Amino acid sequence: MNVRKMVTVVEEIRAEGGRPVSPPATVAVVAAVIENPWAGQGFVEDLAPGIEANASDIGALLAPAVLDALGAPAEAYGKAAVVGLNGEIEHGSALIHTLKFGDHFRKAANAGTLLPAVEKRGPAGVVFDIPLKHITDATIRSHHQSVEVRVADAPHPDEIIIGLAAAAQGRPQQRLAALSTEQ
Amino acid sequence: MVTEAGRAPDRPAQRASVAAVLRNPWIDAAPLADLAPEQSRIGPVLAKLLSARLAQTLGGVDRIEAFGKAAVVGTAGELEHAGALIHTPFFGNLVRELLNGESIICFADTRAEAGESLVVPLWHKTHAPTRSHYQTISARVPDAPRADEIVVIAAASTGPRPHPRIGDRRTDPVVTTRTLEESLS
Repeated sequence: MNVRKMVTVVEEIRAEGGRPVSPPATVAVVAAVIENPWAGQGFVEDLAPGIEANASDIGALLAPAVLDALGAPAEAYGKAAVVGLNGEIEHGSALIHTLKFGDHFRKAANAGTLLPAVEKRGPAGVVFDIPLKHITDATIRSHHQSVEVRVADAPHPDEIIIGLAAAAQGRPQQRLAALSTEQ
Repeated sequence: MVTEAGRAPDRPAQRASVAAVLRNPWIDAAPLADLAPEQSRIGPVLAKLLSARLAQTLGGVDRIEAFGKAAVVGTAGELEHAGALIHTPFFGNLVRELLNGESIICFADTRAEAGESLVVPLWHKTHAPTRSHYQTISARVPDAPRADEIVVIAAASTGPRPHPRIGDRRTDPVVTTRTLEESLS
């Protein structure tokens, strides 16, 4: 795994809808910009060796970093893969849709649910939204949220951005009824 | 920055920008109103908050080698409102002092819709002409500034560009239109 750079984004919302949010609602993202392991190889039929060689290492790099950036226990989480223009979206999916990647985050956050994800392809500087859901019960509606990210000079055509997002709480001023109250 | 051009830098640098989003205090003010009272009220709060976050993010004031500042005013404000919050001793002097700097702090400002990205210039905090430290960081808040808001940004770096190799003022040859007479003719 060749990492070009790491990017951390922390958003701290202190007011929403004109009312204070106390304590501030915090969401963190850590992204690694890596070389696409399948760059320059044409159509690669079997992605398993590349997954084996990279997915776990990326998960191990990002999971502690995003929790550290959040500075609080995570209540919601999500993940992202943004592939440069020469790659396939399948390459990004390959690296994040495997337990080898996600289990690092689940273990570190004492989480159990699937990590919601965004996968897309785009030029350097493309904006992407990472969806987040509750870490132990994906039906908890208060924690459905997303965070917007952009890395100015990535991904290059032969790179992939792999990211993890964590939120310390649900949406600021969340006030939708629980799913269980609907028939 | 872990690698650049495929190689690890001798001194990998961390760059950070910290942005605060606030309501434009002059949004309801009369045209050409005096900006000074709000400058002295808001500037120090922002300087302290943003400097502390930068230092915390980059591992301490001593690790910071280069700095810069910026402001983005929403579309209902004046560009002068952006400048008013960063080009004042109540902000600039305090950021410089809190980050142990001596240089003038370089800057960018603009008026824009929410989500506009701004390239914030940085230079060395005590020796501004140090060419290796000329660098920028792109800063952007997805949902700000709203029309009646201002985004105020402080930014810093812990080192030079990844592979600085464009010399310095001391190593530059003398270049004038006269020395280049041949190629310019």
